[in-house]
Amino acid sequence: MGTYAITGGSGGIGGQTVKLLKEAGHEVINIDLKGGDISANLASCEGRREAIEELHQRCPDGLDGLICNAGVSGAVSNLQLIVSLNYFGTIELAKGSFELLRKKKGCCVVTSSNTISQGAGRMDLVDLLNNSGNEQMILNLISKWDSTNLSVGNSIYVATKYALARWVRRISSSWAARGVRVNAVAPGNVQTPMTAALQGSARDALNALPIPARYGQEALMVPEEIAGAIVFLTSKYAAGINGNILFVDGGTDALLNSEKVY
Amino acid sequence: MNIIQKYIETMENRDYEGLAELFDCDGTLVDHCPKGTLQPEYHVYGKEAINMFFRNKFTFGKFSISEPEIIDERHAKFVANYSGYMVMAIATIRYTNEEGLIQKLSVRPK
Repeated sequence: MGTYAITGGSGGIGGQTVKLLKEAGHEVINIDLKGGDISANLASCEGRREAIEELHQRCPDGLDGLICNAGVSGAVSNLQLIVSLNYFGTIELAKGSFELLRKKKGCCVVTSSNTISQGAGRMDLVDLLNNSGNEQMILNLISKWDSTNLSVGNSIYVATKYALARWVRRISSSWAARGVRVNAVAPGNVQTPMTAALQGSARDALNALPIPARYGQEALMVPEEIAGAIVFLTSKYAAGINGNILFVDGGTDALLNSEKVY
Repeated sequence: MNIIQKYIETMENRDYEGLAELFDCDGTLVDHCPKGTLQPEYHVYGKEAINMFFRNKFTFGKFSISEPEIIDERHAKFVANYSGYMVMAIATIRYTNEEGLIQKLSVRPK
């Protein structure tokens, strides 16, 4: 059986992924802010470095898979946290774990979002994230933005998830050439305590992103469904899949973007 | 009220449920106008998809119509607004089933 590391594995999609991997007999190391096997704040450079060092200490023989799932929504008032955790917390941990993955010809799965296809992200920020990679400069820019405006937070959230997907596409060729596959899942709206609490116009907006597989139910995806796709991408059955962004949204993207086939 | 009038009424009222009910179970709505706005065309297959698709468009203000004019029992023209980009459009009910429900409706620039 294999050894996998996951970020944000204490609940939700991450928690279900841990459950599925353990049920399959794998060892799973959960890296999380609280309650993980490795406690680390992946929004900070120091936290990332500590997590990577401990991962290397725990897994000297390498990793079969790394699942980068930790992230926050655009509803948090701390805009810099969205960038630091969602984007830099993911790619820095992935890059720091690459040699461990390479030892076992492992794979990496990143959690993006199906919102990347809905045009709400700031593409200038996406370009800055992917092309400059200068975290402090980007945080300085964002510090001037209106953190009380929910649409600003959402546009940053979407940008970080778009940039993650594009990072996966860009890095996938060279990593695969060295034996490491890297893919992303793009979940639709998932049942969480936060989405369950939404009311009024926020609830209306949520329901206006229909999930065809839930037609007429006003229901969201459940974490198990996303976790199943993640586990599939880590499995031998996905050995030929690399550089893909797998939409796991019950068909929302196909509904709203039927003409985009590639 | 005939089917083209009902179509215009539901579109003006942003009534995605009423709009979907005008269509046959496998009815399709094809709108070629967005292509001229550098947005993808609409190809929406099935009444449930029409319901969900226009719920999204209407709720987020991505699509609306104004200045409608019924031309005849199968045609109507209007100004269609795609995320702020306006197009003079003409809708054509191409096929209906035995119950009068729309099997295919197309919208093109006028």
